Amino acid sequence: MRTTMYKKTPYFFILPAYLVFLVFMFGPMVFSLVVSFFNWTGIKSPKFTGMENLKGIFTDSVFWLSVRNTLLYSAVSLFIVVPLSLLLALALDSPHLRGRLAVRAIYFAPIVTSTVAISQTFLMLFNTDFGLINRMLGIPIDWLGSRSLALVPVLVVVIWRWLGLTSIYFLAGLQGIDRELYDAARVDGAGTLQRFFSVTLPQLRPMTFFVSMIILIGSLQIFDEPQILTGGGPSNATRSVVQYLYLRGFTQFRFGYASAIGLVLFIAIASFSAVQMRLRKESDL
Amino acid sequence: MKKKTRFSVGDWVMNIIVWLGGLFMLLPFIWMVSSSFKTTEEIFQPATFLPKSLDGGNYARLFSNWPFSRWILNSLIVALLTTVLALFITSLAGYAFAKFRFKGRGKLFTILLSSTMIPFPILVVPLFVITSRLGMTNSIIALVLPFIAPPIGIFLMNQYSSYVPNALLDAAKIDGAGDIRIFVQIALPIMVPALASLGIITFINSWNNFLWPLVAIRQELSMTLPIGMANMLTGVSAGSAPPYGPAMAASTLVCIPTVAIFLAVQKYYISGLTAGAVKQ
Repeated sequence: MRTTMYKKTPYFFILPAYLVFLVFMFGPMVFSLVVSFFNWTGIKSPKFTGMENLKGIFTDSVFWLSVRNTLLYSAVSLFIVVPLSLLLALALDSPHLRGRLAVRAIYFAPIVTSTVAISQTFLMLFNTDFGLINRMLGIPIDWLGSRSLALVPVLVVVIWRWLGLTSIYFLAGLQGIDRELYDAARVDGAGTLQRFFSVTLPQLRPMTFFVSMIILIGSLQIFDEPQILTGGGPSNATRSVVQYLYLRGFTQFRFGYASAIGLVLFIAIASFSAVQMRLRKESDL
Repeated sequence: MKKKTRFSVGDWVMNIIVWLGGLFMLLPFIWMVSSSFKTTEEIFQPATFLPKSLDGGNYARLFSNWPFSRWILNSLIVALLTTVLALFITSLAGYAFAKFRFKGRGKLFTILLSSTMIPFPILVVPLFVITSRLGMTNSIIALVLPFIAPPIGIFLMNQYSSYVPNALLDAAKIDGAGDIRIFVQIALPIMVPALASLGIITFINSWNNFLWPLVAIRQELSMTLPIGMANMLTGVSAGSAPPYGPAMAASTLVCIPTVAIFLAVQKYYISGLTAGAVKQ
């Protein structure tokens, strides 16, 4: 660490970052927390209503439906994407995989695609009358118009876009494992499966945790995919929490109510992030 | 010892599964591009993998029926402006936190990084109110400003700044160089890989951004690509068929730049993503 003669310089260097942080992140966050205790449509002056909005959302069946849908998106992401991407990372790390560069490119490219473009593509793929998926299945299934099935296309897009991202993390984790641990296990007579369970999995534990947190925090904020594929329908069957916030805030302009939904989302995500940061600090230092 | 070239049954199974999965991953890309070359008639017939002939009509209509070139321009301006400003702001801050000792350094750093805990969707209502009060609705600047100090960028730049050797900085100082000159001429060139990583990630995120532009932009001519595209399908009047062909042409054109950038400089993108996850 170096000392400097110009004591003011570092403050000037961090000033732009702090201005943006205060004006476009921290300030709006506080603003949003405060607004959730007001009745406000953005036109008339806000009216303080205390806990009314929060009480309202806790008895709002559509809100709970959106919570259920969002948790379902999260659960599927966690329990399907995480194990699949670990297996994919193992394959990508294997010297026996043919055409590794091509495989990597194919699985990783979805990460950078536009959610809107991809959701529109899947919208067509899942179309009842002229979609490729029904053509291959040979039955005209009404994927997007059915309350029970409409979640499927959304989840397929989520899995398709996230698989590569999480396997990148696992691949980095795998490449960070000390090769000597494998050699030692081999000397002890451990087979491939045993080495996986006694060396690979325990060594990947911090990475697995990190990946799960990223997926959880990301999927709790899901918006783009259901918005394009179903618009939240049919009758709210696919509506996520953020979609519900958007609906209340920007089609009905109930800013207070929308902010109260945001408050609940914030508490959920901030507590997950806090746990993640604490655990990372413990494992890092 | 087994020979490396010998494939076991397990290796065969692995290869087959991974490649079959790869076909599934490719399917949407193939469908998107192939549909973009189908005629309207063909699109509303039972699905086929490939178009009967390469018809450019969807692309022509895309540019004549919608202000698509304007959306490209808007998206480019927003993404480039966001990237340049984010690189400038995060490199300055990350470097200051790594190379200066000053009062409150640790606390100020933690506060700044804790903004990762703020989920963006909760900021949408207040940001909308602020931008409309400032008369910035439909302005491109409103799309840029909230994303120019990404905490992950500050973290990345901070990590990378610590690789800049102190001896080099001290030598420059003895030669009488000021802090800004030292930063620009000595630190920044060493930080180029981190700048590249963050630059690519920021550009791609901005290019694909949907929620905030959806809220902030109402005028068709001020839209960025994702908003304009979403509008193509939802803005259809009742009774008429959605313009799937042009939408697939638009999707193809929107995905080409980011996928091309990614394939060309995968290394930087991936190292930027994993910088926060892997212990150095």
